[in-house]
Parts: sequence; structure tokens; C-alpha cells
Amino acid sequence: MRRIANLLATFVLVLSSTVLFAQTTSISGKVRNSSGLNLGSLSVTIKGTTLGTTTDESGNFRLDVPSSVQFPFTLVVSGVGAVTQEFTVRSATDVIDIEILATATLSDEIVVSATRTQTRALESPVTIERVGLSTIRTAPSANYYDIVGNVKGVDLVTSSLTFKTVTTRGFAGSGNTRFTQIMDGMDNQAPGLNFSVGSVIGLSELDVESMELLPGASSALYGPGGMNGTLLIASKNPFKHEGLSFQSKVGIMHTDGRYRNPSPYHNYNFRFAKKISEKFAFKVTAEFIHAQDWLADDQRNYIRPSASNGLTVGRIAPGTRDTDPNFNAPNSYGDETTADIRGVLTGIGAQAPFLQPFINSINANGPINVSRSGYREAELVDPNTINFKLGGSLNYRIKPDLELIAAGYWGNGNTVYTGSDRYSLKDLRMGQYKLELNSRNWGLRAYTTQEDAGQSYNLTAAARIFNEKWKPTVTFNAAGEPTPQTTDWLIQYAQSYLANKLTGMEDIDAHNGARVVADQGRPLPGSPEFKRIYDQVRRTPISEGGALFLDKTSLYAVEGQYNLAEYTKKFADVLIGGNFRRFVLNSQGTLFIDTAGTIPINEWGAYIQASRHIGKVTLNVSGRYDKNENFKGRLTPRVTAVIEVARNNNIRVSYQTAYRFPSTQQQYINLVVGGGEILIGGLPVFHKIYEFDKYPPYDLPVQPGQTPKTSTFSTFKPESVQSIEVGYKALLDNERLLVDVYGYLGEYTNFIVRRAVGQNTPRGTRVLSIPVNSTAKVKTYGAGFSGEYRFGRGYFGSLNASTDVLQDIPEGFVAFFNAPRYRYNVGVGNYGMGKDKRISFSTALRWQDAFFYESDFTSGTVPAFFSLDAQVMYKFPAIKSLIGIGANNLLNQYYVTALGNPSIGGLYYVRFAYNIL
Amino acid sequence: MKKIQIKQWLLKPVYMMAALVVFAACNKDVPGPTPIAPAPIVGSSIATIINSDPNYSLLKAAVTKAGLVLILADSTRNLTLFAPDDAAFAASGVSADVINALPAAQLAAILSYHLVPERLPAAAIGTVFPNRQTPSFINPAPSVSALLRLTNFPSANNGAWLNNIPIKAVDRAASNGWIHTVAGLVMPPQRFVWDRIDTDPGLTYLKAAIKRADVGSPSASSLEGALKNIGANVTVFAPTDAAMQMLLTGLIYQQLVGQGMPPGDALAAAQQAASTPDIIATLPVETMRGIVVYHLFGPGLPGRRAFTNNFSPSPTFYPTVLNSVLADHPGVLIQVSFGPNTPFVTAATVKGVGNAAAANFLIDPRPEPTGSSDQHYLNGVLHKIDQVLLPQ
Repeated sequence: MRRIANLLATFVLVLSSTVLFAQTTSISGKVRNSSGLNLGSLSVTIKGTTLGTTTDESGNFRLDVPSSVQFPFTLVVSGVGAVTQEFTVRSATDVIDIEILATATLSDEIVVSATRTQTRALESPVTIERVGLSTIRTAPSANYYDIVGNVKGVDLVTSSLTFKTVTTRGFAGSGNTRFTQIMDGMDNQAPGLNFSVGSVIGLSELDVESMELLPGASSALYGPGGMNGTLLIASKNPFKHEGLSFQSKVGIMHTDGRYRNPSPYHNYNFRFAKKISEKFAFKVTAEFIHAQDWLADDQRNYIRPSASNGLTVGRIAPGTRDTDPNFNAPNSYGDETTADIRGVLTGIGAQAPFLQPFINSINANGPINVSRSGYREAELVDPNTINFKLGGSLNYRIKPDLELIAAGYWGNGNTVYTGSDRYSLKDLRMGQYKLELNSRNWGLRAYTTQEDAGQSYNLTAAARIFNEKWKPTVTFNAAGEPTPQTTDWLIQYAQSYLANKLTGMEDIDAHNGARVVADQGRPLPGSPEFKRIYDQVRRTPISEGGALFLDKTSLYAVEGQYNLAEYTKKFADVLIGGNFRRFVLNSQGTLFIDTAGTIPINEWGAYIQASRHIGKVTLNVSGRYDKNENFKGRLTPRVTAVIEVARNNNIRVSYQTAYRFPSTQQQYINLVVGGGEILIGGLPVFHKIYEFDKYPPYDLPVQPGQTPKTSTFSTFKPESVQSIEVGYKALLDNERLLVDVYGYLGEYTNFIVRRAVGQNTPRGTRVLSIPVNSTAKVKTYGAGFSGEYRFGRGYFGSLNASTDVLQDIPEGFVAFFNAPRYRYNVGVGNYGMGKDKRISFSTALRWQDAFFYESDFTSGTVPAFFSLDAQVMYKFPAIKSLIGIGANNLLNQYYVTALGNPSIGGLYYVRFAYNIL
Repeated sequence: MKKIQIKQWLLKPVYMMAALVVFAACNKDVPGPTPIAPAPIVGSSIATIINSDPNYSLLKAAVTKAGLVLILADSTRNLTLFAPDDAAFAASGVSADVINALPAAQLAAILSYHLVPERLPAAAIGTVFPNRQTPSFINPAPSVSALLRLTNFPSANNGAWLNNIPIKAVDRAASNGWIHTVAGLVMPPQRFVWDRIDTDPGLTYLKAAIKRADVGSPSASSLEGALKNIGANVTVFAPTDAAMQMLLTGLIYQQLVGQGMPPGDALAAAQQAASTPDIIATLPVETMRGIVVYHLFGPGLPGRRAFTNNFSPSPTFYPTVLNSVLADHPGVLIQVSFGPNTPFVTAATVKGVGNAAAANFLIDPRPEPTGSSDQHYLNGVLHKIDQVLLPQ
């Protein structure tokens, strides 16, 4: 903390010592185009600075030039559909008349994240996907976050309407810790819950300037994490993007009433930015979403892996509540509690010996497992998903090329998340606040992430505890010994079952009759009794026997970067940077093993990058060193080369490494989950806490008739990936066609997986799930292709396809790879047609192959699916507004992105937007 | 011309969209759960078979009157019916008139004793002693517990039997179980073994011996308690009063002679002393207990209810309750003989280790009070024998 305080003090010093402001000169100009390009919203910046503005609808612009900028300087005009054009301004009186050419595609866009410096996307040394303003404006999506899902190589896992997780190159799943999201410069991962909250708490749509996606290993530049990719979302600077804008998307969901009754969808966006002077600007943004969430309602029978059934992965099996007494569905909760009535029957047999032979003959004296009756997700979770985001920044230009930004993003929402169980994130609050200094060639940033799980609770735990509160399965005394009572659910069930069997009933009928007896008086969902018990359970912390999380974990980070190019350019362009992070785990024992107080984790890292042009080849070498107090330090190098084979034809080759420290949960979690197993952290401290020396854990599953094998644990290490990528990007056919092709190979070492072990203690046998490094090398490979074409007259089309494959995995190894073998996206649209080019439309079709989804929650086949999105808009230039209609999943073809996750149907909306260009 | 232009730009996207949709088939939403199909129903129900087979006409009438048709017709149940055919009814002296005269409840009780709530093909009925114990459909005291059942004892030892009634034919398959045909009605027991001992004028010495053996034992673990317990499962070899007198006379005589009394006087005195069961109250408790448990199969051992037909035709040792204390004791040596001209046991002997000669079963399987062998009670079987068995 002290170190952070010092750094913050430095900020303040820098701020107060810089008080000189110079006079400004104003320049104005016009951008022209002869081929009907939309001249509004083009970006005009002074090269090498952050100073700039945007053009109005007619292409006019006006820009204040501070005296610190010396004439002559260069203006850079760029924008959607335009070839980036540079124009030298020699004096304030120059007539600035810039002829700009329409480009066929987004090809000439500038990307930042590939090398942490501005680079033409065409010349990026690694695969990069950029989603710019115009795409965000025209994409047929109810929420901008969905747009990323249509980019090539991307998998989007939808846990609920407002909870979506982006992944590239495999290992998808909500809460994927191998993919980093950076929102306005800040790591967007909830530090305690370990998922990126981008779609819940992040930028509001109107404040997004661009999204840049780096598929593949990218931690050489962005720090540990980012093994599989990094998504960077940049916000709009109020100096460049001024004014009041507003957007509403009001629609309807669940139109066919299949999962819920038809209900409205509301999404309102607001942004106001004002440049008070050349020195000072600010912005305020807000977004509000309210809808009835998609519903996860997979009611198929699910067999969980357990110590006794020898399964390493769960599977869907035949059976319903009425035909399998041990039924357990992914989206039915409480039925995870299972118990063997054999013990009760044996007890009855001892008291009534005349029944003993009959009792022994039932199921050949084997176990008779029955599960408690569960409640469906619709019966437990508030269907209202609400999401409110508030953000803003104060931007102060100390000098023309030195800007101080204080920004904050805060969000609050109700949503449902799928992790090791389904979680109702209720009143989840997260804030990210930063102070940032940006100069032409250096930057310094300090930020913090403050998480508050609010009233979030684990659905499975809540329902199971609910059942116990209503009627214990078996009563336990204070010493933890079972003391069966005739009022216990299992006792009533077993007695009734046996009585039914004694009338010759078919086994399943005997079970169902017994369930009716044991469940008599079971609170109906929605009844006052139900609400009373359920509210009590979900509001009681996990540490006190309830299901409530008390997570208030936070992250403090400081990072800086310096571009030394002006000193080193004779040799190479050199960039250096470093960062420090401190996590403070604070869950009061409800998630982490922090019952005795908060647990801090410190990590730091530094990187250096050098790039040099050698003829047609641009070489880029970078390296990064990171250290976490719980793990050894580690160097991750990256080498890339871009070869310009012809103009606008580049081949890129890269060798990248990435690694990540185990997540805070993989280090310190201590949580009992659905099936009753205990998730614990991988750090050695847990071996002591769980007394491994006294009660040595043994490997699971134990095959029948074999003696358990004592488990051994090697030192828990960070996992790493090495990847080689080759790509080709080119602008062809008179710059009407942009083609991008890539192929990669990745190899993971020390891959972190969870391993279940058994432990016999005086209080019974328990299953511990411990994160360990797999000794197996996990290899992946994949390839992708994309093409974007301008047909003319405003029409555009795009097509991309990609594949990701996991290979050579050892028998029985569960990698959670979770990527469809093939997926493709097709889009067509028009940027402007009809009278005055007022009409625009776009459509996007996504298809992905079936694949076997593996997770701690549920595993099984996710069927192939497609989804068609479409939007038509009409502009009213006079009032700077547009209206449109759109649909996500236009044909209302329900699909799921992961087993146990909701079925996503059609969402139809009317859009109104003011001043969003 | 302008119209055509508009049409073109309107149609173009429509074509494109149409082309897109063609790419994709329909999505598969999460399928509903698949029920586990119940086993297919094959064949006719037990009720159908009974109702259509003319050999079961009396059973049909009885079942109908007793109101058991619904159960026997229910194809979702697992049942085994030990079905008396018309000949069996006749052998037991039950005619159509008797059926008409009997109250439905009584009829239902009798028939329910022939019905077992599980599928028991002949192959599942064991050939070794002790017998399989299967619950019937009779709950003798529903107010005590819903789980109480009178049990019956099918056996495939020495032919096929249900208790001591021969099974004539086996394994007629029905959709809801099996039908085995019995040669007579198998009557459900109604009293405890103790009730017989307590009230039988010919077993007063045994009763006194048991009472003496129980002196000092808490009632819960007493022999009398066991013989009154519905959960017990015993066989009692009941020495008649004459047998007990004979033994006691001998014992007292030996004692008196040993004390120097002249043999003639000693005999008279011994006969006098043994002439009432009261003398037993003066004998050592341990001795009485040792003798009594040597006459019992049951408590402390797995339930062993033995009808005469369950014993071996060749001499065989069977453990008694004494073995729960003296594990290595050989038990009692029993031999039965069947026939001729009848499937039943006509003679049987049981010999204690300390006896010079074997005791005889008093073979008479008629119901009490006349009967003296295969006397079936709620918690066991009683056979009268003509000697006291001596364990050493």
C-alpha cells in the first residue's frame, strides 16, 4: 500500500508543477471526397500528439493548436472507410483542403495493441482484429459486446443476457482466466471472482471508441494472463469526441413464450462530453439495461463424476425426476444432494429381522441412491436482469502533449454466472478508478478495482441448504454424527419406499411414492414459506452455513511505459515498461481461506520491446519478466517479423510465449460446491490446513477392489504457453478486398487443472479438488481466414472461418478445451444507400460446430448452432438522429453456448440514436 | 425508371439475406429429459390367468370376493402368487359354499398369505436350510407399523414347499410375476409360539422350564420374551409333559440313590416329586437354561423356522441356540422320512448328544389344539417330541 501511496503522490506532484499554458492558434479545414464517402466523424489529429477533433457531416473541422506545437506539423485524417491521409500544415493561414480516398475496407485502420505503439493494422506483426466505431454503429447487436462474437476465431460463452465471456483459441467458459480483458487501460477481471466483467461492468456503448482483439499468447506485452488472447476496449477521449449523445434500444424478448412470457428489453445509453477549454474536458456516460433474462432450463439427467462411479467427466444420461430416483439436472438445484437409503433399510432390517431377507434382496443389497427434490432455475432466480453503468473522466492537458486523466467506471447489476456452479450475481458492484498521465512518448497509470459481490450467492448451495432447512436429509448432532430422526427426509423416504416395495410396487413407483411422502409440505416456489427460508439462506454468509458471498476483494495496480524511440532510433525503436499489482483478498472466509483477515498478493513485472526495419522486414523483439510473491519469476519473450512482400501485402511470423500465475482462486479458494466437494487453493499452505500429513489424500477414482493410491503433489507453478503463428494480410483487387489468413501452433506446459482427491478423516470421507499442474503437454493448433469486400454503392460483405483443435491429449485428461472445431461468420450490408444514402443495413450470420463442453459445472455436447442478426437504419441528418430496427437471432432459433447455460432466443428491438456519429 | 432503381436496391439485400439463411438449418435447442422406459409388459397378468384358467375357478371366486383382483391385475407390480387350484381348495376342505360363507376380510387374509411382493421364480427359491423368508401381504398390526408383515417360507429342499404345503407346479409366468400352484391352502398363523406353550395342557413342564431358565434375565432378553416377539423366528422342539416327567424322575432318582436312599423308595419319591411341574422351580437356573436352549432354533442365530419337510432325510446335525454360547457344539441330529404314498413327512427323529436314543417327533400336522408337529405360529414352528434332548 505504501508503494502505491508514493506513486500517487508522484502524480500529484507532476500535476501541480505544471502550470504553464500557452496560447493557442486555431486552424480549420475541409475534407473532401469525390466518391460519396461519408465525410462525418473522420478523425483529424496532429501527428505525434493526442490532439485532435472530428469532422462534421460536411467534412468541416476546426482545431485549436497550442503554441507548443510548432509549425509545420502534420495532420492525420483517418476514419471508417477512408484511406488514412497525412497533410502538412505549414502555417495557421494555410488552406487546408484534404482530398480523402475511400478505401475498400477497414484495412488502413491504426491499431495500438499489437505492439503498444500505433501501427497500421495491415502491418501488425501478430493477428489482430479491430472493431471500430463504424462497426459498432452499424452492427446488428442489441449490445456492443456481442459484436466481438462475430469476429473470426472468437467464441462467446453466454451465461446470461448481460454476462458474456469472450475467448479465442480454445478453453472457453465463463470466467475464463486465460483471456485478459483490458478496459480503458485497466484489467477488467473481478479480482476475487476471477471473471472479466466487461459485459456487466465496463464501458457503456456510446463511450466505446474501439475494440482490439489479440488472439493468442499476448502476455509479453500485457502481463501474466492473456495466454489465449487479450481484448482491449478503448474509450472515447472527451477532447476528441464532444457533445451529447443518446441511444435507446427498446425491444422484446421471449416472443414465443417458450421459456418466459414475452417481455420487453430496455437498453439506454447516454454520453455527454465537453471540452471546456483546450486544457480541460470531461465526460459523463451511463448505460441502463433491464430485461427478463434468458433462462437456463436443461432438465436432462446429469451424472456427476464421483469417487464411486469412476467418471472423470460428467455426462448427460437418460432419466427424469419420475424415472430416476437419483435424478439431477444441470439447471435444477438442490437435487445435487444424494444419499444412500441402504443404511436406513439395513437399520429397519435389524429391528424387523423378518424383513431382512427381503430388504437384502432389493438391488442385490447394493446402494440405493436417491437425490433430494430440486427447484428449477426459473423458480429460484429473479428473472429481472438489471445493469447500470456509470462512467466519466476529467481530462486535463498540462501541456499539449501531456494529458492527465482521472476516470472512473462503476457498475451495478443482477445477472447469472456459470462457474463451478451457477451463481446469482445479485447487486454485484464493481468500480474501476484510474489516474493516468499520457505523454507523447510515455505514460503512467495507477488504478484500482473494487469489487463487491453484493448479495451474490451460489444457486446450488442455496437450494441444497434450503432443502436442509426445510427438512434435514439426516439430522446431525453437534458433534457432527448422524442422529436419524423419524422426521428426517431420508428416513421418511426409506420407510415409505420399503412400505411401497412390500406391496409389490415397481421399484420406480415405490420411489416416486416415497418422494411424495418425504416431500409432503415442501414449500412451493413463490410461497411465503419458500421465500422466507430461501431469503434467509441466500442472505446468510457461506461461512455461517448460508450461500452468500461476502467478497470485497480489490486490486491496486500501477504501470508505466516509456517509448525511447527518439533516443534509440538509430539502432531500433525501443519501448520499456513496468507494472506492480497488489490483490487484497477479502471474502471473510466465504470464498477464500481468509477467515483470519485479508490476504494480500503482490506481483510485479517489467518489459522491453525493440523493433527495427531492415529493408522490407520489420523485426520486433520483446521480453517481459514477472514475479508473484507466491511463485518464481518468469521471463516471456516474443519475436515477430513482418515482411512486406508487396505493397499492402504482408506476411507475419511470430514466436510468442505467455504465461499466467494461478488466479487468486487457484491460489486461495476454500469453497464447498455443488456435489459436496471442497475446492481448495493450490498453495502449500492448504496441505497444512487440510492436514495432509495426518490424513494423506489419495487419488480418485478408486477402482473397485483396488487399494487407494496416496496422492503426491509437486510444487504448484504458473502455466505457460509457447505459440508460433504465421499470417498473411493483404489488400487486393484495387483495394476492395481485405484478406487475412493465419495459422498457429500452441503448446501449454504446467497446464493448470483441478484434480479430485479423497481424504479419510475422523469426521468422514471428503473429496478435495486441488489445482495442480498437468504433466501432460497440451498442444493446440488452428487456423483462420477472413475476407472483406466492398462491392461498391455502399455494399460490403465479409466472410470468416476458423478452426481450433486440441491434439495429443492423454487418455482421461480433461483439458476444458471447449472450442468448436469449425465456426464461420458471414455478413453483408450497406453503409449508405437510397436517397442521400440515408438507409443502411447489416446482417451477420454465425455458425459453429457441435463440440463437447467440459466444465466443473456440467459437461456434455453443445449442439451446432447458427444465429442470424440483422439491422436496418434510417438517418435523419438534419436532427443528427437515426432510427432503426434490428434483431439478434432473427429466426428465434434457440441455442446454448455451453451446457447448463441459458437458451438464447430472438431479441427484436427498435433503435433510436441521437448524435452517435 | 426511378421505381425500378428503388426495387433493385430493395431487393438486393433481400436476396443476400435469403442466401444467408439457406446456409443454416434449424438449431437444436436443449432437448427435454429422456425418461427411462419401464420394462415392457409381457404376457397376461396374474388376475387374467386366474380368471381364464378353469382349474382356478375357486381361487377366482375367492380373489374376487376378497377384493384382491386389482392388485393381481396391476401389471406394474412385482408379485408371486402361490396359487391354490381347485384341487388344493378341496384338499383343504374349502368348497365354493365355504368361500361364499367366509367373510371377505378373512378370505382376503388367507389369500394374502399366499401372495409375495417380489418376483420369485422357482430358481430363486433356495434348496438349503434355513429357508428363504419372504414377506406376504398380511400386516398383522398395521397400527404398530406399516412395515409389519407375516412371512412365509418357500423352500426347494426335498421337493418344493411353501411352509409345509407342497408346491405342485412352478413358474407360470405372468406380466406381473410368477404363479406357483400349491397343493393346499397355506393358513396364516395367528398366535405366538408362546401362546401355545402357555396354554397347551401337555406342555406345562416346558412352560415351567422356560420360566425357570428366565429367572434373572431381563424380560427383553428372556426366552419367554423371544417366544412372544413378532420379530423372532424360531423352531421349538417341545418335550411333552411325559417326556419331562421321565427325565426329571430319572434325575431325582439318581440324586436320591446317590444320597443313599434305597432304590425302591427313591423311585417312588422321584415319581412323586416329578409329578408336578413345580419341582422345576427348585432346579438350577443354569441347568434349565442349558436344556431349554438346546430345544430351540432361533434367537441369537439367523432366523430358522423349520417345518419337518425342511429337514434332511439323512441324519444331519443342526445347530441350536446353545451354539450361540458353545460355538463348537455339534447341535442336534435330525432325520426325517417322507411317504410312502404321501409327499409329507411321516416320521422324524431328533437326538441330543447326551441322549442314548433319538426322540420321536409326534407327527400330526393338523391345526391346534390337536396337532403336534409343524404347528405354525407368528414367530415360529413348534414340534412336540417324546424325549428331552440332552446337550451332553
